[in-house]
Amino acid sequence: MDEIRRSLPRFGPELALMAGLLLVILIDAARPRRRDAVNGALTLLTLLVALVLCFPLHGWQGEIFSGMVVLDPMAVFFKMILIAASALVLLAFRQPREMAGLGMGEFYALLLAVTISNLLLATANDLAMLYLSLEMVSITSYVMVAYLKGDRMSNEASLKYILFGAVSTGGMLYGLSLLYGMTGTTSVPAIRQALTTGLANQWPAAPYVVAIFVFAGFGFKTAAVPFHFWCPDVYQGAPTPVTAFLSVAPKAAGFAIMLRFFYSGMAVRGAGPWDLAGAVDWPAILMVLSVLTMTLGNVAALTQTNMKRLLAYSSIAHAGYIMMGVVALSQNGARGLLVYLFAYLFMNLGAFLVVTLVHNQDGTFDLRDYPGLYRRAPLLTAAMAVFLLSLMGIPPLVGFMGKLYVFAAIVEKGPSYWWYAVVGALNAAVAAYYYARILKTMVMDAGNEDKPPFRLPMPDQLVVAGLVAANVLPLLWWTRIEQWARSSLSLYAGH
Amino acid sequence: MIGLHHYLVVSAALFSLGMLAVLTRRNAVNVLMGIELILNSANLNLVAFSRFGSGNLQGQLFAVFVIVIAAAEVAVALAIVLTLYRLRRTPNLDEADILRG
Repeated sequence: MDEIRRSLPRFGPELALMAGLLLVILIDAARPRRRDAVNGALTLLTLLVALVLCFPLHGWQGEIFSGMVVLDPMAVFFKMILIAASALVLLAFRQPREMAGLGMGEFYALLLAVTISNLLLATANDLAMLYLSLEMVSITSYVMVAYLKGDRMSNEASLKYILFGAVSTGGMLYGLSLLYGMTGTTSVPAIRQALTTGLANQWPAAPYVVAIFVFAGFGFKTAAVPFHFWCPDVYQGAPTPVTAFLSVAPKAAGFAIMLRFFYSGMAVRGAGPWDLAGAVDWPAILMVLSVLTMTLGNVAALTQTNMKRLLAYSSIAHAGYIMMGVVALSQNGARGLLVYLFAYLFMNLGAFLVVTLVHNQDGTFDLRDYPGLYRRAPLLTAAMAVFLLSLMGIPPLVGFMGKLYVFAAIVEKGPSYWWYAVVGALNAAVAAYYYARILKTMVMDAGNEDKPPFRLPMPDQLVVAGLVAANVLPLLWWTRIEQWARSSLSLYAGH
Repeated sequence: MIGLHHYLVVSAALFSLGMLAVLTRRNAVNVLMGIELILNSANLNLVAFSRFGSGNLQGQLFAVFVIVIAAAEVAVALAIVLTLYRLRRTPNLDEADILRG
């Protein structure tokens, strides 16, 4: 009881989200008039309150709820990023054409539920909590993907997502059960303790086997090769707001738990914060996966014509770059990962927003319908150019800073890592090609002169402008943002 | 005397059978049954390790949560299979092929 009383004040954002979630469900069930508008406003308010409640948590470090959940500066950073992602999705995608005629109340409830589980996943400190929150994120995402009840694509995407997700997380669970058997505990810091002191009469390859199983779950959440197969189909079939959300929030939470698991579950005490226990060469394994992830994503994106599918492959490639921050297994690597996720949030949501706005107007996701967009909507095209250049990593934009930090973290690891940085750079060049192809189609190609002029409602213009500003302006206050990321680097790792 | 290893062997067999079902079955409901086998093999591991290995109850608690999660997952999955069946009149996975490329 004392433990709960001690923990609750440190659980503010999650409690606020839960209260909001219950209210949204009750209001939706009571069926008042204009309930969608009320619920939308209530959801946004809940997210903002939760975001504000994150601020007082900064600086505290320790376990809460008997070691189930951990609170540290990095947890606070991820909480803020994850809540901001949900709030931005809510603000940016208000009445998409795809979801017309369907009640929005359930969508808001699902969004809040998945936000809570994202926060829990990013702060899990026990294998049971880790698995529980991972599944909670997944199951709510499955429902969100199938939101278009009468649409075959949406349901097919969800079915593929469920079957793939259930198998990956099932494999992960099997790995977790073996890890429990090896160490005799489910608490992540205690597991590290057990691994550090050495395990008696163990088969030396056992940690490898466990790690491969466990990585299936992380890889599924972050869409890393070879657990990416669901990603293009799900991103294409899901309603675009859901796609945009899935491409940023659960991915960020997946990277948070990946970093946390390796840092507080596998690192050796006293040998420097990032030296991992056991004879397993973690950086090598992760490096190979990261190279495969970015290369496959970029190469497959080259030939896509459906914009959602193209951005899905692009997001796989970005998962590969973000993994560079995990591979480095250093403070600078972790900082690069945080900066990259911060940048990725704005650039990827921006790109998906433009795709949705074009669909709202023209009813198409096909790149072949994009010619002449520049003449019909010059400002929207300019905004898309900013997002795409940011995704490419062109200097004054925030996407460049993300790439800069992760590449720097890799290069400083020494000459044996340089080939990896070169592969990353080559990949960025390949990616530049297909992003530039979208730009060329919108600006240079002629066509669609007979289509009606592009109408963009005022709120949409504001959101697009805001996201452009978020891609361009952070460089002006970069020292602040860098400081924020640096002060968030501390991870709780047991007593 | 039945010991830890017997349980681990049964659990590994269950896991492999589940994986086999997932990889070879065409019917979505059969694939879901394979997934159940995978989850239950992990449960068996957890409970066996808890009983014979560590001597604490963390593993058994974990298994209880896994049972709940498995039920929730299957509920959602069956709902989707049912919706898809209404739209297409088939439960077969290789006919779910409009998303590709």
